[in-house]
Amino acid sequence: MSLWSRFRSWWGATIQRSRLESEMDTELRFHIEAYADDLVRGGVPRQEALRRARIEFGGIERVKEEGREARGVSFFDELWQDLRFAVRVMRKNPGFAGVAMVTLALGIGADTAIFSVVNAVLLNPLPYADPQRLVAVREVLPSAGAMPMYVSGPDITPMRKISHVFDALAGFRVWTYELSGSGEPERVTANRASSDLFPVLGAQPILGRNFSAEEELPGHSVVVLSYKLWQRRFGGSPAVLGQTVNLDREPYTIIGVMPQSFVFPLPGMGQGPAADLWVPLALSKEELSDFGDNFSWSVVARLKPGIGLPRANADLQLVARDVLDLYQQWARDAQISLGDFQLGVEAKPLREVVTGPLRLTLWMLLGAVSSVLLIACVNVANLLLMRAAGRQKETAVRVAIGAGRLRLLRQFLAEGLLLSAFGGLLGLALALWFKDVMVAGMPASIPQFHPITLNWPVLLFTFLLVTVTGCVFGAVPSLWASRADVNPSLQGSGRGNSHAPEQQRLRAVFVVVEVALSVMLLVGAGLLVRSFQRVLKTNPGFRPERVLTASVDLPPTQYSREEQTGAFYRQLMNRLQQNPGVVAVGGSTDLPLLGQWNHTFTPEGYRPPPNVAMNVCYHSIIYGDYLRAMGIPLLRGRYFNEHDGPQVTLVVLVSDALAKKYWPGQEALGKRLKWGSSDSNDPWLTVVGIVGDVKQGPLDAAAALHTYQPYAQLARALSLRIAVRTQGDPTAVAADVRAAVWSLDSQLAPGSVRTMDEVVSRSTASRRFTLTLLGGFAALALLLAAVGIYAVLAYSVARRTHEIGVRLALGARRKDVLRLVLGHGLRLTLVGLAVGTAGALGLTRLFRSLLYEVGPTDPLTFGVVVLLLICVALAASYLPARRAMRVDPMIALRYE
Amino acid sequence: MDKQLELLQGTLDMLILKAASLGPLHGYGILLRIQQISKDRLEIQQGSLYPALYRLEHQGWITSEWGESENKRKAKFYRLTAAGKRRLQAETENWNSMADVIAGILGTKPEEV
Repeated sequence: MSLWSRFRSWWGATIQRSRLESEMDTELRFHIEAYADDLVRGGVPRQEALRRARIEFGGIERVKEEGREARGVSFFDELWQDLRFAVRVMRKNPGFAGVAMVTLALGIGADTAIFSVVNAVLLNPLPYADPQRLVAVREVLPSAGAMPMYVSGPDITPMRKISHVFDALAGFRVWTYELSGSGEPERVTANRASSDLFPVLGAQPILGRNFSAEEELPGHSVVVLSYKLWQRRFGGSPAVLGQTVNLDREPYTIIGVMPQSFVFPLPGMGQGPAADLWVPLALSKEELSDFGDNFSWSVVARLKPGIGLPRANADLQLVARDVLDLYQQWARDAQISLGDFQLGVEAKPLREVVTGPLRLTLWMLLGAVSSVLLIACVNVANLLLMRAAGRQKETAVRVAIGAGRLRLLRQFLAEGLLLSAFGGLLGLALALWFKDVMVAGMPASIPQFHPITLNWPVLLFTFLLVTVTGCVFGAVPSLWASRADVNPSLQGSGRGNSHAPEQQRLRAVFVVVEVALSVMLLVGAGLLVRSFQRVLKTNPGFRPERVLTASVDLPPTQYSREEQTGAFYRQLMNRLQQNPGVVAVGGSTDLPLLGQWNHTFTPEGYRPPPNVAMNVCYHSIIYGDYLRAMGIPLLRGRYFNEHDGPQVTLVVLVSDALAKKYWPGQEALGKRLKWGSSDSNDPWLTVVGIVGDVKQGPLDAAAALHTYQPYAQLARALSLRIAVRTQGDPTAVAADVRAAVWSLDSQLAPGSVRTMDEVVSRSTASRRFTLTLLGGFAALALLLAAVGIYAVLAYSVARRTHEIGVRLALGARRKDVLRLVLGHGLRLTLVGLAVGTAGALGLTRLFRSLLYEVGPTDPLTFGVVVLLLICVALAASYLPARRAMRVDPMIALRYE
Repeated sequence: MDKQLELLQGTLDMLILKAASLGPLHGYGILLRIQQISKDRLEIQQGSLYPALYRLEHQGWITSEWGESENKRKAKFYRLTAAGKRRLQAETENWNSMADVIAGILGTKPEEV
């Protein structure tokens, strides 16, 4: 039968259902009466004849049921019946339905919200055309640790020329500009980029055009705006094309606007936040001669169709060799030796670069939240099981009058699915709210290139959750119920079977599963809490409280010489110093936790171990009282002072770690070092002080080797970030800082005005986010597990009232009863603890990279979690145990 | 009366088709006719008749209409359709050849092998 005719038959039957039912009634009644008539004719009294006719006919309801099935219309019919019946059952017991739905809604809602993040970040492709062909190309310096890193500026052009595996290759780097010309001056984030950047990404301006290859050379001042900046600053007017804006007080012509969907760079690429605008690469003469230095550029490339990553990397080996040849040539020209300088080039899928660091965290969160849902399901299944036991008589009656096993299964499934459907709807509402809360607190490290929404894939996921959960906890009790033996239930009190051992076992499994899952979640959350504590407790090397920082970048057009920048900062510092609330003020090229600037250096007389040709350290150029303002302690020697000018001995401060590494067991004061390799032409710098180690990268990374040089000894125009230590609330001086900057240059806008506390909290935002979520899930799991244990024991006590009464009547003490129930709960909990601990030991290993100074098998965490669960289990068992203890044997014995 | 035989699995449909082929009958009439023809030697669960009837009707081998019974009661009469006739014929042939084969096998004597 075709689907259509089947449907027609069903539809016709549905319309005619009541007619068919009454016809069937008439027909069967006719049969019985006709038979009875025959019997009467044979001499049987009428009453007796009817009785015999009915008996010989067999179960009328069963015949009807089979008749309906024979017509092939029953499935939908019965489903409809089942659903109506389920709604009736639910309305009869709203408390039960409410608890079950809310439990499910919590699980489904949280799961949906987390999945919406996983879907947007991990499962969706990058927001560029044909994204699987996009790779990030990075350079590797084997002599400075084999970590892939950024690319040296002069290498971009040769890479593009030499490689055979790319359709296109583009270099770019983050840059900030002062944007002025129309409206208030502001700091904007820009990218200097190859003209190939947009083609590589498959993006096109919605207005105007991209840079041309010629414009990539210096001297072409053109700019492409992001959609956001275009809307914000230019009101989305198409007339901007051809207009001029000032970037660092130089006129640039607007030639294009990118579409709204175009976001670049993404977090993970290491080139700052999404850019407001793009300007051509325009590598200066100095930048082009920075061979093997200034590794601060990023390269993205599009693989030719059909070229895989291994093939690309093989080709890049050759590229590396040719780039190195260029280095050799340059070194010969400059008459310096490169030594055994090595260079590697490698490609990595862009997607990996962007989402790689997040994958573990997000999957872990999804796993955690799914465990919560599983616990919720177990609780609801337990509720349904209890109710199934209570409805045993009903079930038995239905089996007796002809309900098939499948029919019963379907009935329970319908109830389960109805519950989970309502729970799912409620959960979706919860997910909408929860998702918004999450997005609001989301750290910048999670890219939001696709808006995080409850879109179709997410809804499909929720639908699957609802279906699976509904089936699971609908099927479990029904499988048990449909095995139930009819006779004892009908004959007995309807309770006889409820202690069926398999049902008991099922409940025990429920408790064990709940406890085990909770242990794993709590251990995970506990380890993260401990890591977070350790992170917060690490000594950052500076005192972040009561420090305000700001970037004061001076546009090179107006401040091209050292005297100009020097004069500006001197006046600014003097002005701020006069503020009575200011304790110390200074400037630096880098702030702690935000440092990027790596230098290679050579300590005097240092014999490097073989294969380590380069010594790398962070380097800051500091102005004024910076170290005191930031609270970086002086360990020995002296800070810089006003005598460290251009005409005297060149001086340097080094961090404690650096001093210990390069001059172990010696006094580092008075030792000398210089930039570059041992044969570089840079002058020697004398160490005049040793300062404390500062975390320059994230708090959970090791403190780096660090050097500081005084601004006054550098004949270079530089922009600084300033640090102001205050007596009171540092935000109170923010306005003063702005005013002081404006009083010196009315067009300047200080950027990133933040307290150091904010900087610290930003650097831990990602950790805090994960921790908050996982902690929340663990707490929810614990609560649900406690409720689960309580429900199982309370039910068991209620069922055993009679037995307990007998025990008491036979002389058991109340203490024994208490011990009986508590022991029952505790035994199950201990099994769950064992399983959960084993599971946690296996799992936490996978998350080692998320931990900090805490081992994945941290005994303290495991101990606390185990204790906590035992306490919770005891508390949850105590209420039912107390009830059991107070059983009155007289009442209990009469109970049934 | 001889001992009643239990109906072989799947043969009830065939018997119903045969009974209905002899003229329109209501359900009870079909039962009576089968019993009459078989001289009460087949045991048929009365209730099982109706699901079988509905199934055959659903498959289009019999059709039904409401009429009046001998004693003026409203009853549903079943009649064979053309498809039902073909079906009955096919089933009959099938049954006969099957019965021949089985009888042949069961009647085999040792020397015939």
